[in-house]
Amino acid sequence: MIDIELTINNQDYQLNIHPGERLYYVLRKLGYRSVKFGDEHGLSGADTILLDGKPVNAYLMLAAQADGHDIETIEMMGEHPKQGWKKGKGLHILQQEFVKTGAIQCGYCTPAQILASKELLSREQNPTEEQVRDTLSGVLCRCTGYLKPVEAVLRAAARLRGEEVPPIEDPIQVPPEWMGKDIHDSIPPTRTIEVDGSTLTAERVITELKVSNSPDTWRQVGKPKEKVDAVKLVQGKPAFAADFERRDMLYAKVLFSPHAHARIKSINTAKALEIPGVRCVLTHKDLPRVPYSTAGQSDPIPGPLDCYSLDNKVRFVGDRVAFVAAESEEIAQMAVEAIDVEYEILDAILDTRESMQPGAPIIHDQDDYVNFADSDPTKNLAAEIRIDIGDIEEGFKQADEIFEAEYEVPKVQQAHIEPHAVVTYWDEDDRLVIRTSTQVPFHVRRMIAPVLDLPVKRIRVIKPRVGGAFGGKQEMLIEDVAAHLTIVTGQPVQYVYTREEEFIASRSRHPMRIKLKTGVKKDGTMTANAMYALSDTGANGAHALTVTGNTTKAMALYVGDGKFRESPNIRFYADVVYTNTPPSGAYRGYGVPQGYWPVERHMEFIAHEMGLDPLEFRLKNSLHAGEIHPFSVAWSEGREPFPEMIQTNGLVECVNKGKEAIDWDKKRADKGWNDVPGKPHLKRGLGVALVMQGTAIPYLDMGGASIKLNDDGSFNLLVGATDLGTGSDTVLAQMAAEILGVNLDDIIVYSSDTDFTPFDKGAYASSTTYISGAAVVDAANKVADKIRERAVMVLESRLEGTKFKASEIELADCCAIAPDGHAVSMADVALHSLHHANQEQIMAVGSYVSPVSPPPFAAQFAEVTVDIETGQVVVDHLVMAVDGGIIINPVTASGQIEGGMTQALGYAVSEEMVYDEKGRAREKDFRDYHIFEAHEMPILETIFIETYEPSHPFGAKAVAEIPMDGVAPAVGNAVFNACGANVLTNPVTPEKIWKELRGN
Amino acid sequence: MITEYHRPDSIEELLSLVSRKSPRTIVLGGGLYINEIIKEPIAVADLQKLGMTAIMSKGNILQLGAAVTLQAMLDPDLIPAALKKAIKHQETYNRRQVATLAGSLVAANGRSAVGGVFLALDAELVFSKAKAKIEKVRLGDFLPVREDKLAGRVITEISIPAIVGVSYQYVARSPADLPIVGAAVAQWPSGRTRVVLIGYGDQPVMVLDGPEADGAVEAAKDAYSDADDQWASAAYRSDTAGILVKRCLEEIAENG
Repeated sequence: MIDIELTINNQDYQLNIHPGERLYYVLRKLGYRSVKFGDEHGLSGADTILLDGKPVNAYLMLAAQADGHDIETIEMMGEHPKQGWKKGKGLHILQQEFVKTGAIQCGYCTPAQILASKELLSREQNPTEEQVRDTLSGVLCRCTGYLKPVEAVLRAAARLRGEEVPPIEDPIQVPPEWMGKDIHDSIPPTRTIEVDGSTLTAERVITELKVSNSPDTWRQVGKPKEKVDAVKLVQGKPAFAADFERRDMLYAKVLFSPHAHARIKSINTAKALEIPGVRCVLTHKDLPRVPYSTAGQSDPIPGPLDCYSLDNKVRFVGDRVAFVAAESEEIAQMAVEAIDVEYEILDAILDTRESMQPGAPIIHDQDDYVNFADSDPTKNLAAEIRIDIGDIEEGFKQADEIFEAEYEVPKVQQAHIEPHAVVTYWDEDDRLVIRTSTQVPFHVRRMIAPVLDLPVKRIRVIKPRVGGAFGGKQEMLIEDVAAHLTIVTGQPVQYVYTREEEFIASRSRHPMRIKLKTGVKKDGTMTANAMYALSDTGANGAHALTVTGNTTKAMALYVGDGKFRESPNIRFYADVVYTNTPPSGAYRGYGVPQGYWPVERHMEFIAHEMGLDPLEFRLKNSLHAGEIHPFSVAWSEGREPFPEMIQTNGLVECVNKGKEAIDWDKKRADKGWNDVPGKPHLKRGLGVALVMQGTAIPYLDMGGASIKLNDDGSFNLLVGATDLGTGSDTVLAQMAAEILGVNLDDIIVYSSDTDFTPFDKGAYASSTTYISGAAVVDAANKVADKIRERAVMVLESRLEGTKFKASEIELADCCAIAPDGHAVSMADVALHSLHHANQEQIMAVGSYVSPVSPPPFAAQFAEVTVDIETGQVVVDHLVMAVDGGIIINPVTASGQIEGGMTQALGYAVSEEMVYDEKGRAREKDFRDYHIFEAHEMPILETIFIETYEPSHPFGAKAVAEIPMDGVAPAVGNAVFNACGANVLTNPVTPEKIWKELRGN
Repeated sequence: MITEYHRPDSIEELLSLVSRKSPRTIVLGGGLYINEIIKEPIAVADLQKLGMTAIMSKGNILQLGAAVTLQAMLDPDLIPAALKKAIKHQETYNRRQVATLAGSLVAANGRSAVGGVFLALDAELVFSKAKAKIEKVRLGDFLPVREDKLAGRVITEISIPAIVGVSYQYVARSPADLPIVGAAVAQWPSGRTRVVLIGYGDQPVMVLDGPEADGAVEAAKDAYSDADDQWASAAYRSDTAGILVKRCLEEIAENG
């Protein structure tokens, strides 16, 4: 042990530490929990601190290296501006701008971004955008696309120079002549506004406003409100799962399999147990054998039960072999390495084309495998889908030309910066508390109960702040590890994945091989479209059926024209097979991006081959408002389907506005535009993809909310919905505030805790604004009715002899207002109901399940530059025009689009997970798994085309997943336009282009 | 696992530490790599009290302290633009603050842009040894035997020629991704040309050191003709290496 002195945030510490202790752990132990773990190599930058004013990574640095140095964390930068009687210093200008611009999504990397930016602004008063982006290159953000953080830093710099910056909150002014106009009457005039309110950055966020029912009267909905959780996140408050501390906490580690397929012959844990500080080692012999699925879905889970907490067989490199709990992570890791395992190595399947071959090794040969639907473990088949709409063969007969091709999409990772993290402990009532970073707290509670042999009522799942998830946490993935260890030791246990463990042992997008066959008449009418997908579920079948079934959404966009529009001919067949690779699962888009790569690449190629305009060809065959969603009559996640009519479709406007933004017509018409002057090896290209998603799962997924009035006229809004950084807490609060006639800060949002908040299926399937939002509106309307009744009581007691009707009371400006102008404040309503007369707690519970899944639509454009000698492709510009219905909050919604496009950009050009001949992962860190950094981003533009979806109380659809769908095919099409390279496998890497150009 | 931490006040003290047989003592520059590569118990000797952060020009030579950070190398006009490009390509802003030059060269693998450019510049490493002895070793001689060369000695300085043309070109999946193929070329006023390839194997590969550039493209293609791995085929690397080397030479010629 050695003695060191640290000065942290101007406070001196004298510490006695181990020489090898990382600064990260020392800071966390001292309570500086704004310093986060993102990875082991300083590439995520979540662990950024300022050391003598310079941004460095605390996880990479020994505490001893910092001896004698000044350390600054975000805890010293600013504080909540209102702290009771105490005059607080308020937030730092950088923090203020991060809040105002919407630069905070999940907030996990926010302290790091702000600290790095602080250093920049301390030496450069007037930084360029390039300097800001270079500074932020050290902090990965998976949520934002960096646009708003860059804008925040530039605005802060301007304010620090004493300049004024335009307000973000400029209200959207609706021309008086639009008022009262129904959206269905005619296409109303449009206008463009800049939401970012600043010309400081080259990129812009543009909102196209079309008039909806009565937006002129809305005061909360449709407005770029600051996020309700921004102030806590910008201070780096300990809001995340791993920030939670308990006395006697133990730390878990897992021994992972080094083999792709093996049977465990023996395990010797004696040496591990001898290590001082080790409290528990568990193997498959110690735990009850309970088959389960990790997929966080509603009951009954639509997939096979083929997982076990620990098994006597391992099925992929990274599968679990043993659990350890110890007094520190380091000791636990030593114990893991001391476990002696003897394996019988089995033949492995690493290629889906081999899974169903006769004689292939059987990956799930256990007797207690529980089938679902057509799963058949003897064939390594996790799920099978056979959907026929119309008469596919007749459709092909009527075609003038048939186009067939085979495409491939890769395995990719969600790569949320906060890893999976969980803390479990027994509470004073002997109930097991699971504090976990999850999208699905209620599903976790229900699903883990049988695994632990505990009734649901003895389990409480708390979802704290989540640092990004993107589907990766729609899983009951590591909660059982900590829970088993808590059950055995009786102590609290924390388990946090390392980044390497994220890559080898968590979930990822299903890779697929997809064959597509399309029949087309000479005039461009599609007559038939058939897809076969061979989907790789990896070693377990979680989400196998539903992800691949969702791939149909890409097929649903194009139904054909004329009589084929009335009766489309579509076939979708799929086999979802097991391999000895890490299990696939849910990832933003949930099967749809896999479908759009082949469909949109195929559409482009057909248009090119037939000499058709690529956009006219698409729009001619695309689904229209007023038509039946073709798959709604044939498929509903394995349950009975119900026909759904498309109510709103802004696709044509999306195309028109997107074309305008990227200057499509001019560039595509200019034959010289593809050439780069003076650089004959460079070619420019433009590409497009049209896409649609779904919004929620009809007749299944339910959201719930409760609203309670407090003494001062504020409200507690409790939701089971989970804000993963999406801004859903904010938009739910906006909807509640709109109905209750109060300000956003009068709504106190809490999410989620299975003991306190109403049930919600969780955050997935683009459903929170739509489903959970409708539940909030339901609760708010019930509360509003009670407030009106109470207001009548108050007004009539004040104005003796005067009668009021509750139905005529308007809630606005934090008051209940009668038609004659008499008003009672919300606080007076609360005091009257709680204390003065006929006392009652005004509160209500709302819930909602939807009969429909109204799809958002979008046009995704991409501009690229291709080096035709090396194949290098650089994406220069992405424009996405989205019809997501009414946008509840343009700042949070545009953040979703920007972040989604950025993830999808990685899917387009750089992200993939590759395995060697022994099933070992190539990608284990952020060096090899490259996600886009701030300084290499293309220009991003977001355009909202607002339609009013009648099935939602505020006309909303969804925006969360659709930005994942179009970027990759649009980039592929742009490459094709640039140089003729028709790459059928994404990501579009330099070598693939090079091979195409050389005819290989 | 690190069992001892030292912060020596002098080179002599540092040398006495690294010369110990037990525990094995490793020089700690910025610390970016040390915890990744070492599993057995080790001691570390932190350079932070020893300076070695100067950047100086002496005649036609640029002398760079071993502990100068990559970030510090981005400001001076003395540093060639291609080297700055390689630094920015290789490391993010945070990591550049602590990554030392010597540490980056010691840890250079086949995808190291910084290592590749220094190799093209025929960098010379100055080692201090016991009894105030100095040893100078070319980077190209050091990299293949770096473990052995570091035993009982420390890098104190790196020198590169100041008046050479140098270019760095690469192909990657995205602008900030690691290179799949890269080339670094340095050309002296005399015509001497050194060509280095990046993107494959354990270290950057020097493929040409000749009195002129003739044959550089072919040499590059040959050098990567077997450079096949999960990231790219040898055929692609070979072809692209030739193209990048050609571009490097053109850029040097354009810049005079």
